[in-house]
Amino acid sequence: MNLEKENKFAKQINETFHSAVVKVQRERRIIVELRSDLIPPFLSFAKEYLSFIHMAHYSCVDWLEENKFELVFMLWSYEEDVMLIVKTKIDREKPEFVTIKHLWPQAETYEREIHEMYGVDFKGNDRLGEFILEDWDDLPPMRRDFDTVKYAGEHYFTRPGREDAQDVRETIARHSGEEIPDFAKKYSIRRDEE
Amino acid sequence: MREKETTLYLGPQHPGVTGNMMVKLKVAGDTVVKAETHVGYLHRAFEKLMEVRSWMQCFPIVCRICVPEPDPNEENLARAVEEIEGREVPERAKYIRVMVLELARMASILLWMGGQSGSAGLYTMPQWSVGDRDYILDLFEELTGGRVYHMYIWPGGVRRDLPEGFEDRVLKTLDYLESRLPDYDHLMFENAIFQKRAKGVGVIPKEKALEWGVVGPPLRGCGIKHDVRIDEPYEVYDKLDFIVPTYEGGDVWARAMVRRQEFEQSISIIRQVIEKMPKGDYYNKVPNPFNWIVPPGEAYVKTESVRGEFGYYVVSDGSLKPRRIHVRGAAYVHGVSLLEKILVGANIADVSFIMNSLGVCPPEIER
Repeated sequence: MNLEKENKFAKQINETFHSAVVKVQRERRIIVELRSDLIPPFLSFAKEYLSFIHMAHYSCVDWLEENKFELVFMLWSYEEDVMLIVKTKIDREKPEFVTIKHLWPQAETYEREIHEMYGVDFKGNDRLGEFILEDWDDLPPMRRDFDTVKYAGEHYFTRPGREDAQDVRETIARHSGEEIPDFAKKYSIRRDEE
Repeated sequence: MREKETTLYLGPQHPGVTGNMMVKLKVAGDTVVKAETHVGYLHRAFEKLMEVRSWMQCFPIVCRICVPEPDPNEENLARAVEEIEGREVPERAKYIRVMVLELARMASILLWMGGQSGSAGLYTMPQWSVGDRDYILDLFEELTGGRVYHMYIWPGGVRRDLPEGFEDRVLKTLDYLESRLPDYDHLMFENAIFQKRAKGVGVIPKEKALEWGVVGPPLRGCGIKHDVRIDEPYEVYDKLDFIVPTYEGGDVWARAMVRRQEFEQSISIIRQVIEKMPKGDYYNKVPNPFNWIVPPGEAYVKTESVRGEFGYYVVSDGSLKPRRIHVRGAAYVHGVSLLEKILVGANIADVSFIMNSLGVCPPEIER
């Protein structure tokens, strides 16, 4: 495996951003961990000087145990065919970050979703608000402490069967006049009445 | 005098998309002044559900993220898990995966042909192309048991080997579909009305395409040659010989021509796959799915789907369940930020037409 260009990028990043923790994950993948306040200048640097022009993905991971949210940016360089995965951790109690839509306009959509699903507030993004969910006033649902089963139990009910529901076996027996064998009676839905 | 602006709610059911999605249009006369995508009709919380499922239980969920082309989802998730685990995949399984992906691409292009010409008012084409797509679904049914959702690709390989004589049936179907191409050309691609509707409509500026995150046929329709199968070859695409078609213009017509040529390339790829496919195992067994622990780690993998780059970001914390699976569909960018930009100035009658040419697939946006 030839990691020449990946190591070259890692060196360039380390020279400019001394606090960055750079790891070459494998061929074509570099992972960079950075302080959250350095992310906007770093992304700008990666886009303008290191040819990472394509923002492929923008994700958020909830690390409930550490009380942190991790924002993850995937940038792709079409010139070198390398992906840069930039990660930063932000406080989970009062999650705030700045928008990067001035660098990539499609980031606005990702920020709207992360805001809705995790509750991260993006300064400078004026379209935060209702995106996928409608009239949602509960905890942001993608947080790990949001309990889907509990929510479903509180808001939905198990529908009872229809009143005119008929047991297939019984109906056939009634029409044909045949007796239901004993071993099959336990499967009948009306067994309590008999 | 300034023309009065009217708000028009296009959707959620309309001919431009596979699924439900609404576009809120501000129109002056019949020209769009402002467009806003409104999604939420197909949100099924797949990503949240997967966080409380075992790894194997995620596979029947992910394929439902895209109806026209579900296989890149399975392939991506399988490859991401394999990357985190370091699991080897037999060579034969890789060839079978490429065959399935390319068949899905062809089926999806046939469905697009129907949608694209249908939204222009050419209703014969959907009858033909959707009918022909069923021959591919027949092959899927024989191979996987399912026509639309396959759940066939999983970590370690594929679920079962090819049935006896399957290759011959694939080749015969390919011959038939290839013989239909001149008919499609006469009806759709050489049709003067279709050309007139498609040329110069929904133009993506070439100099902005890369920065705006445009991928797949819309990007190649701007004359920019990028394809995940070439940029970062996965499975066995580096052993296959194919070209990446591009077309200048950035309009609906250019995207149509790119897809038309990709259809031929897929036929050629599947023929090569069948010729080169080695004998041997098709599956490296994974542990008991109920006790299957994937070691801590993360992976971002991507596939070239028919709509463009399809990516999966998978994080494992070393437990029985995934920590996070985040899906990147091409429509996430094409259907929201890109669509809102290129609809401005378009005619109302062209809105569905433009959406179809971008391949907007709402389940990818909301998941």
